[in-house]
Amino acid sequence: MYNFYDFCNERKHINTNRKANNSPLSKKLEHSFVTQLEKNQNIVHKICRLYTNDSDSHNDLFQEITIQLWRAYPKFRGEAKFSTWMYRVALNTAITLYRKSKRTIKTQDYEGVSFKITAEAYDDTTEQQLQLMYTAVKGLNDIDKALVFLYLEDRNYKEIAETLGITEVNARVKMNRIKEKLRTILNP
Amino acid sequence: MDELEILKKQWQSQEQGLPHVSYKEIYKMLLKKSSSIVKWIFFISIAELGFWTLLSVFVPESSTKFSDDIGLHNVMVAVNVLNYTVFATFIILFYRNYRKISITDSIKELMQNILRTRKTVKYFVIYNVSASLLLIIGINFYYYANQDIVFKFMTEDYGISNISQERFMRMFFVIQILFGIVMIGFVLLFYRVVYGILLRRLHKNYNELKKIEA
Repeated sequence: MYNFYDFCNERKHINTNRKANNSPLSKKLEHSFVTQLEKNQNIVHKICRLYTNDSDSHNDLFQEITIQLWRAYPKFRGEAKFSTWMYRVALNTAITLYRKSKRTIKTQDYEGVSFKITAEAYDDTTEQQLQLMYTAVKGLNDIDKALVFLYLEDRNYKEIAETLGITEVNARVKMNRIKEKLRTILNP
Repeated sequence: MDELEILKKQWQSQEQGLPHVSYKEIYKMLLKKSSSIVKWIFFISIAELGFWTLLSVFVPESSTKFSDDIGLHNVMVAVNVLNYTVFATFIILFYRNYRKISITDSIKELMQNILRTRKTVKYFVIYNVSASLLLIIGINFYYYANQDIVFKFMTEDYGISNISQERFMRMFFVIQILFGIVMIGFVLLFYRVVYGILLRRLHKNYNELKKIEA
């Protein structure tokens, strides 16, 4: 299913890759990592918003993802786009962390669920539809949520499949099932 | 699935409402590893206490009977009480260090906490090693001063016979010394490996912090 093995292996590599800790090279590594993360941090925030319900857990998850990304960073050698690589590590972190604290997260407060649109004003029905949809997506299980997230991020099925470590066909089938699921949630 | 398409269309527009974390804040997050290291120090110290307690349960009855017989019962109880009290104090200190490190925000404070944690661990190790050393030396002095009783109860409790007191005592002390050395060596090795690794990591974090503070 998910390539957790890769994920774990990446984490193991940190020790071998970061021996020379004070070298200018590692300094450069830190700088390039932080710069790129700062630039792409919206991705992480969107994941945090999807997987948590209050600002405290949002920040916790953000920090956890940052640390996991940093640990995996020495293995990232530009073979993919930074953002693509980020999707994978960040989602894996969100899912594993979510699994650990499932019970505490299940209680949803409404505030955290709302989807904030700051662009043009929309008529009430569209707005309402959006809120309902977002709430429905938040209610999905962690793995389905990851798929929907990538879909909403406008990744194509090939990318989705690669990020989640499943086949492209599997990704399409899963997505169709999720759409079905969402339909029944919205129109019971 | 129209609603999902609507959401997808609006998906990127939520970005303006997202929080922004600055370069420096992200950098600081990389150093937060310290709190997990200190957490491990806390957990390991508890595990260690559990280990010693468990070990004392498995001490053979003949051995406790022997120390009772030669009049060390009260001393042993006192040593145990003292040891557990000191251990508990250290565990509380470790916990406080952990709490403090996990809630600090400023780099400076974090650095101070790291230094404090290192110091606490150092004292903990010094206490443990010197306490075991003192205990071993003290008991053996007592044995030396009361050779007659030791010989009498040793031969009775363990059913040893056909050996002269002089020869027995010589063997007894050689074994005691060897056992003491192995024991201290084991304790030292344990601390060197377990806490040594954690402290080195803490130190590395400390150095990185120093770089951004400068």
